[in-house]
Amino acid sequence: MSPVVQSSTAAKGSPALRSFEQQWFARAADPLSALRERAMERFLQLGLPSQHDESWRYTSLKKLSAQSYVDAPRAPSGGLQPTAQLCLLGEDERAATVLVVNGYPVLPQRMDLSINGIEINSLQEVSRADRRLMSSFLEPLSDGEIGRWRLLNTALFVDGLYLKVSTRVETPLVILHVATADHPGTAAHPRVIIDALPGSSATIIEHYVQDGPDTPLFNSASLISLERDSSIEHYRVFATDQRTNHLDSLEVRQARDSRCRQFTIVLGGGLTRCSLEAQLNEPGAELESYALLVGHEERHVDCANVVRHAAKHTQSRQIARTIASGTSRVVINSKVVVDAGAAGTESQQSCRGLLLSPSAEIDSRPQLEIHTDEVKCSHGATTGRLDPNMLFYMLSRGLDRETAQSLLIYAFLADVLTGMSVPSARHAIENALIPQLPDPQVLRKFR
Amino acid sequence: MLKISELSARVAGKELLKGINLEVNAGEVHAIMGPNGSGKSTLAQALAGREDYEITGGSVTFEGRDLLALPAEERARAGLFLGFQYPVEIPGVNNVYLLKAALNAKRKAAGEPEVDAFEFLALVKQKMKLMHMSEAFLTRGVNEGFSGGEKKRNEVLQMLVLEPKLAILDETDSGLDIDALKVVSTGVNSLRDPRRAVVLVTHYQRLLDYIVPDKVHVLAGGRILMSGDRSLALELERRGYDWVQGAQVA
Repeated sequence: MSPVVQSSTAAKGSPALRSFEQQWFARAADPLSALRERAMERFLQLGLPSQHDESWRYTSLKKLSAQSYVDAPRAPSGGLQPTAQLCLLGEDERAATVLVVNGYPVLPQRMDLSINGIEINSLQEVSRADRRLMSSFLEPLSDGEIGRWRLLNTALFVDGLYLKVSTRVETPLVILHVATADHPGTAAHPRVIIDALPGSSATIIEHYVQDGPDTPLFNSASLISLERDSSIEHYRVFATDQRTNHLDSLEVRQARDSRCRQFTIVLGGGLTRCSLEAQLNEPGAELESYALLVGHEERHVDCANVVRHAAKHTQSRQIARTIASGTSRVVINSKVVVDAGAAGTESQQSCRGLLLSPSAEIDSRPQLEIHTDEVKCSHGATTGRLDPNMLFYMLSRGLDRETAQSLLIYAFLADVLTGMSVPSARHAIENALIPQLPDPQVLRKFR
Repeated sequence: MLKISELSARVAGKELLKGINLEVNAGEVHAIMGPNGSGKSTLAQALAGREDYEITGGSVTFEGRDLLALPAEERARAGLFLGFQYPVEIPGVNNVYLLKAALNAKRKAAGEPEVDAFEFLALVKQKMKLMHMSEAFLTRGVNEGFSGGEKKRNEVLQMLVLEPKLAILDETDSGLDIDALKVVSTGVNSLRDPRRAVVLVTHYQRLLDYIVPDKVHVLAGGRILMSGDRSLALELERRGYDWVQGAQVA
């Protein structure tokens, strides 16, 4: 094990850390115990991330780490009525939904459950049947601070969802993650593994909502593993309310000629930190990542992406659009790393921010780290208010100010919205998005 | 139709218009010429209602109304159109959507119902033909990725659809090759009638071979130094702007 790297001592020994340690001691042994132990050891050694850590610079976890946590319940005490229920898919899509409550999948008692051609299983089940496969999915891509909470998830998740995609699946699958708690001070560690076998394709939507006023601290972690020639369109949509703190980490591993399109949509939460760590391991792998981060009222959104080109002739494209109103703050760190030997890499990063209030803040940091020649990498970041030249142009054509402003906001988001290939998901996302923007009545007209 | 008296304006703390006087009547075409930095574009943008331009003196009436009291959008709806020297690219806003919203805003102000979708499309297509524009431009973002000439044609297309009473065209000829210049001129000339007026802001007299003005003014240093008929433009072409400035001093 490597020596202790710059630990965040401030958070060490915090009530949160101590309570996680207690949860860990209370866990029963299972086939993954050895792996979990390593993760926990590492996590305790490094501590919770603090603002001294590069990708956590703008996000304080002080409040969060001053609390202690117990395990969130397996199921709600009453029936489920998710308050932020967005019907993400219309009937036309013939989509199926898998319910996951605080990380525990709600599956019928069947071994061979398959929905629309996607084989679905619980992680407990899979780790019993194939510990080695499971371990390979759970080993972290890196030891970086970006995945710190993921280590904790690996140690503490009790169950989760395993999806095996082995054919070309037409209909999207929605994973409805419900966060629910009877009292404050609980934590949940949902885990999802999406395993796309060679030549397969699917669209998978992870949708986070809540049930009831109290929600656990959500520390979710997902993995998309794309084998040769496979293709996945993945959405994660955060739509809980302002009391929810959510730390989510997504890993993407890509083999030869695989294609991943990923959408990260933050429309809710009090504190939402979402990270993406992608590794393009073989030639021909292509990643498109889109982020739509909406800061509203007092929300704090922090998105951290690291895309690593680890093989020749790989491509990535990252498009982030951030909007901040009220006293919200939105942070986007996006980094592309091109390994030595990954010649022929092409990467693009575009971060654009739109400030809609004088007390809101947006921090965009696109970064490039290139260790080889013969690459085509570009990055750009702009943040500002609505462009006065565009506004004047439209006013000079007779459009009223409200319409002109709304049109510009809508156009600003269009790069992300028009990239979505599931129309009903896009529609539902727009429906949830519009009330958080100025002049919702006018915006509705453009749809 | 348009009466400008002693108009002064400041942009970013600099006095760029220093007492402009100009009267444009219905049916007339005026050309405003002048060297770079003389205030031509400032005048055009100030008339269209640019907010960051501070009017420091004088008055402007448009059909008897106090133009300066109106915000930009109301000036447009009242029938004033500015063809931009540098048309703005607005990615994500559909060209045809903007055009329709603009036409409907004007119709609404005039108490008319919204334009019928089919009639509108037929109208736009007809005008596009006149401007030698491909219909593919309809669905693209406003001016997004358009060449210089395409942007200018798009400006004239908007003008033709909106049918303003007064069109102010700010260097619509700059950057156009001779064929494009002819197309743009045909467009502008098709709008000429006794009820409308056109103000051409231009650097070169070349445009005036195709759109023949009734009056020509020379603007320099924020003032109109000289006015005349078509022959003034030809004289300028021969003798250069220094001549006007020199003549003024003398």
